Amino acid sequence: MVEALDLPTTRGENWRWADMPALQAARALRGEADLPDRLLKGAARLVFVDGQLAEHLSDVDALDITRTTLASDHPLAAHANGDAVALALAAQSVTALEVVRLTTGEGHAPLAITLAADAVLTLVETFAGAGWSNALTRFDLATGARAMRAVRVVQEAGFVSTRDEVRVGEAASFVSTALAATGAGVRFDAMLTLDGDGAFAEFGGALLTREDQRQECAVRVRHARPNGQSHQLWRAVAADRSTASLAAAVEVARDAQKTDGEQSLRGLLLQRTATVNLKPELEIFADDVKCAHGATVGELDRRALFYMESRGIPAPRAKALLTRAFVADALGRIADESVREQFEAAADAWLEQTL
Amino acid sequence: MLKIENLHAEIDGKPILKGLSLTVNAGEVHAIMGPNGAGKSTLGYVLGGRPGYEVTEGSVHFRPTRHGERSDAILGGTRDTGLLRSARNDGEAARNDEGGDWIDLLALEPHERAAAGLFLGFQYPVEIPGVSNVQFLREALNAQRASRDEKPLSGGEFLKLARAQADALGLDQEMLKRPVNVGFSGGEKKRNEMVQMGIVDPAFAILDETDSGLDIDALRIVGDGINRIMRAPTKAVLLITHYQRLLDYVKPDVVHVLADGRITRTGGPELAHQLEREGYAGVGAEVTA
Ligand SMILES: Nc1ncnc2c1ncn2[C@@H]1O[C@H](COP(=O)(O)OP(=O)(O)OP(=O)(O)O)[C@@H](O)[C@H]1O
Ligand SMILES: [Mg+2]
Repeated sequence: MVEALDLPTTRGENWRWADMPALQAARALRGEADLPDRLLKGAARLVFVDGQLAEHLSDVDALDITRTTLASDHPLAAHANGDAVALALAAQSVTALEVVRLTTGEGHAPLAITLAADAVLTLVETFAGAGWSNALTRFDLATGARAMRAVRVVQEAGFVSTRDEVRVGEAASFVSTALAATGAGVRFDAMLTLDGDGAFAEFGGALLTREDQRQECAVRVRHARPNGQSHQLWRAVAADRSTASLAAAVEVARDAQKTDGEQSLRGLLLQRTATVNLKPELEIFADDVKCAHGATVGELDRRALFYMESRGIPAPRAKALLTRAFVADALGRIADESVREQFEAAADAWLEQTL
Repeated sequence: MLKIENLHAEIDGKPILKGLSLTVNAGEVHAIMGPNGAGKSTLGYVLGGRPGYEVTEGSVHFRPTRHGERSDAILGGTRDTGLLRSARNDGEAARNDEGGDWIDLLALEPHERAAAGLFLGFQYPVEIPGVSNVQFLREALNAQRASRDEKPLSGGEFLKLARAQADALGLDQEMLKRPVNVGFSGGEKKRNEMVQMGIVDPAFAILDETDSGLDIDALRIVGDGINRIMRAPTKAVLLITHYQRLLDYVKPDVVHVLADGRITRTGGPELAHQLEREGYAGVGAEVTA
């Protein structure tokens, strides 16, 4: 028996769709974890096993890795507070990195990544294994730095919770795309601050749920400075009795004039017994801003399905093609072609099993 | 080739087809004309197997011709004309028509009907965001081929075929890459239907107002396309139209009037001319209670 943990309750507005019982149950799981295949050729690799840096599995000779201390007041991330791995990327450096979090029971992996001016980072993060994998990741992007990040959950069971705390500096760009398409419970949680003039952030992804599963994202983007641009594009596909929830907020501070903030949250129900919750939020304190949000939940277009079937495509395949197109909106944001293809293949595999 | 007997069908409990009978033989083109709301599109959808269109009485039997060797000509790649030539023009393919079995069309799933050789050209072609024409058609063709135990076409082979068909119908090749029908004009959608027909090369086509929305030149191009793809001893066409003009290009062997869910009048090509002059009441093909 695992001792009970102090977890947020669904009474809190940011936690109303959270599946904390699944997280609690995940802590009792034990499993093996294999190192997943690399997605980025020639990239450095940081591997955590149950929250601890596994040096023998990692390949970080070329990187400047030190230790730091992280403290977050986020209720899940707080469990990862303390001694953390710190990675500093020098000005104008170009880095490709994979971060793998293997969990065989319970793991809390705090990580701090700092990009100096004009540093460029291509990052793929993978969650594998079983149990509860809890990540706190802090990004700090100095002027002109660019991070392109893709996050995937390949963990088949248990629970994955991520908390990203991101500061995007002047003219810096942070683009992150996440995919959850396995049996694990998931909460992608993030707070991004556009903290310099002309900062750019994209934060989105796709959640694919089935059976009694629940997954969610809870993202807040805060525009603190003028001329910032942010896009939050999330797609959720829910089958059976599952629930996928997308909560995305944009906050525009009084100083953040000429902000362009966009949210696109869309859900697709594969069965009527499934649920997609959407919560787009705008809090605007500046007067000269452009913020757009779209939020819709629907089913597969029956006319399109019949059209495809009438051309000879069997119904499950037709559904898969339509659903794939729906998810592609989000996964299409991944810039690296081979990474994008792998993510799409993972989504396809899910569709194949589900439809 | 197609035998419809006493077909009754309803949508949401509302009877639309009310005892429709029709026989089309291989090698024939039949035109169906009739007032708005008579049930022409409904007939197409029922034959295609659209969900929600419930058959309450009657039967539809289909005797498809065997698929010919056109695809082999593509695979050989030596004769470019093979891309546009229909194998069923061949005498050999014609002989294959003999001895085919009648199948109960209504027992098949929509995609099985397509694989059996049925093609439905939509009055309102559907837009499919996020799925390219090329991907859609390659999936469709290869699914049909798989169900006939034929090898799938590779990407390159398929592209060659698709480009040839697009050229023949005056559809810009760039449009093959675009999402299916998204942002296409009315006429482009109809041309795209014919490109699709050329690619899947069906044995039997039901073309629902393929002529509406086409400009004068497009009408001729599409008419030529229908003749090229479908005029063969082993194929047949059911052409739903409101106007004589398309019939100037695609000469029908038989013309029917469909009114209030039934065939109320059947005649030769002259019936279409008479309808154009005198209207439905004039030829005594109006609804009779
Ligand atoms: N979903 C539906 N629910 C109820 N009635 C319907 C539905 N779809 C079609 N109908 C009705 O069925 C009848 C036949 O429609 P259909 O589209 O087959 O006519 P049509 O002969 O093709 O007409 P047109 O020449 O205008 O294309 C019409 O009265 C139409 O209103
Ligand atoms: Mg109609």
